[in-house]
Amino acid sequence: MHEIAVSFGSRHALTGMTLEIAQGEVFGLLGHNGAGKTTTVNVLTTLLAPTAGTALVNGFDVVAQAQEVRRSIGYLPENVQFYDHLTVRENLRFFGKLSGLRKPDGRITEVLDFLDFGGMEDRRVGGFSKGMRQRIGIAQAVLHEPTVLFLDEPTSGLDPEGVRALRDTIARLNSEFGMTIFMNTHLLSEVTKTCTSIGILRNGGLVHTDSMSGTLNTFSSEDSLEDVYFQLESVPVR
Amino acid sequence: MTDVLTFSSKELLDLRRDPLLIILIGFLSVAVVISVLVGAADFRIQLDAYNQYAQQLANSGSGTPAAPPQLFPLQLLRGGVEYIEILGALFAVVLGYGTVAKEKHRGTLQLMLTRPIGRFAIAGGKLLGLSVVWLVVVAFLTVVSIITISTVGGASLTWHDLIRVVIAAMLAWVYLMFWSALAIALTVLSRQLSTGLIVGLVVWLVIVLILPQIGDTMDPDNQVPGGLFASLQIKKADELAVMAHFTWFDDIRNGIEVSSIEKHFERLTFGFLGIKEQYNQQPLAYIWGDLFPYAITLAVATLASAFFALVATTRRMLQRK
Repeated sequence: MHEIAVSFGSRHALTGMTLEIAQGEVFGLLGHNGAGKTTTVNVLTTLLAPTAGTALVNGFDVVAQAQEVRRSIGYLPENVQFYDHLTVRENLRFFGKLSGLRKPDGRITEVLDFLDFGGMEDRRVGGFSKGMRQRIGIAQAVLHEPTVLFLDEPTSGLDPEGVRALRDTIARLNSEFGMTIFMNTHLLSEVTKTCTSIGILRNGGLVHTDSMSGTLNTFSSEDSLEDVYFQLESVPVR
Repeated sequence: MTDVLTFSSKELLDLRRDPLLIILIGFLSVAVVISVLVGAADFRIQLDAYNQYAQQLANSGSGTPAAPPQLFPLQLLRGGVEYIEILGALFAVVLGYGTVAKEKHRGTLQLMLTRPIGRFAIAGGKLLGLSVVWLVVVAFLTVVSIITISTVGGASLTWHDLIRVVIAAMLAWVYLMFWSALAIALTVLSRQLSTGLIVGLVVWLVIVLILPQIGDTMDPDNQVPGGLFASLQIKKADELAVMAHFTWFDDIRNGIEVSSIEKHFERLTFGFLGIKEQYNQQPLAYIWGDLFPYAITLAVATLASAFFALVATTRRMLQRK
């Protein structure tokens, strides 16, 4: 991302954000509510055109080559929803076909097994808990084997068990399939346990980006990430 | 095209299991069937009364019976056609609105829009899905109506009659698609979901109820039950002579009526089914020759409505808040 700005009328959601994430990283974008995290993901997933600046995902421009970007990404929005009258398989078949899979059934079984959700294919999504929906959300996002996965507040509303399962899934997707993962969160603990690099966003601008170890080394050894975060929250926007 | 088929099959699956669709279609079916049943039962009573009278005459040997009453079974469909005109259009608006509103409300739009889908895939899929739904509903209502007329009414329908019923069914399908496509476009263009539905209902109210009602109220023949001229025992030729002095008035009245697409559908179906007296028992070519401008306007209006839905459904419009 280079000098990405997004404005909604007189309100500036992103103010010239510049960021580079290497392939294979698990990047966590931290920030308070309204800092611009979801706007950043919306730009990178082509849901929102930036007002200024350029952004490339997998080498494709998010505006000029939006369809190529869409082919190479997976996306899990916050509070993901599905068609309640449809079964897990029918939902995934629909999204799989939209992602270009001609016969997605085999892949659906494979992904659901990977997510430890096998045997649920023929159940309707209507009565599912938040945690179960989140797993189907991950399934629809990785069905077409994207190279970059965007997760918007993925642990929001999950119980501790669900959070742990999701954390394990993210780690496996990254290690087993080499997926680059971009994760939005306001939970410091999640970033510490899951990410290899982080960025801290405040009022639409990045105040810090570095690897996780680099970030912790920059500050005194007694500082927790929470201390680091609050120290960075007070520095001016770059 | 593959994306359109993917969307339409999802839409069909989702609609098929939606309790709202089942309630709406069930209600429409019951209304149409009851109207045909009542007409058919009345038809049967008249037919039985005539047969009984003819039998009594034959038994007594007191002469040949008078000619049987002029009973036209296709005219029994009048109530059903009127329900489709009003209720069908209303339900078509609700279903068209629902297909877009559900996506916006549930948040499934985001999942779709991050996929490499074509420009017209979403609207095209929804239109195709709804067209299949309406085709099935209209076919079902047609078959049930034919069976009811034959069994309850005891009327025998000829192939000629069946062709007319099929034409009327096709017109109903086109008319319902006009409303569903319009509702899709209006919902997409509305920032708030409720606005889309309200605008759709206001358009329905004006086109289906207000304009035809103004036209009907202005018709001198509707001022007195049974018709003004008939109640004054004025002959048809004299009626026409009187009305010749008021052609400007009739032009205005007709102009108001034909500004409603509902009247185009009604005139066509009433013509082909012989519900309108001047077309009763007339050959199809004659009816077509007289009414084809209405068929063209109905087709053009529906195509325009579908085009409107296709053009309005852009990524930007769908994401507007």
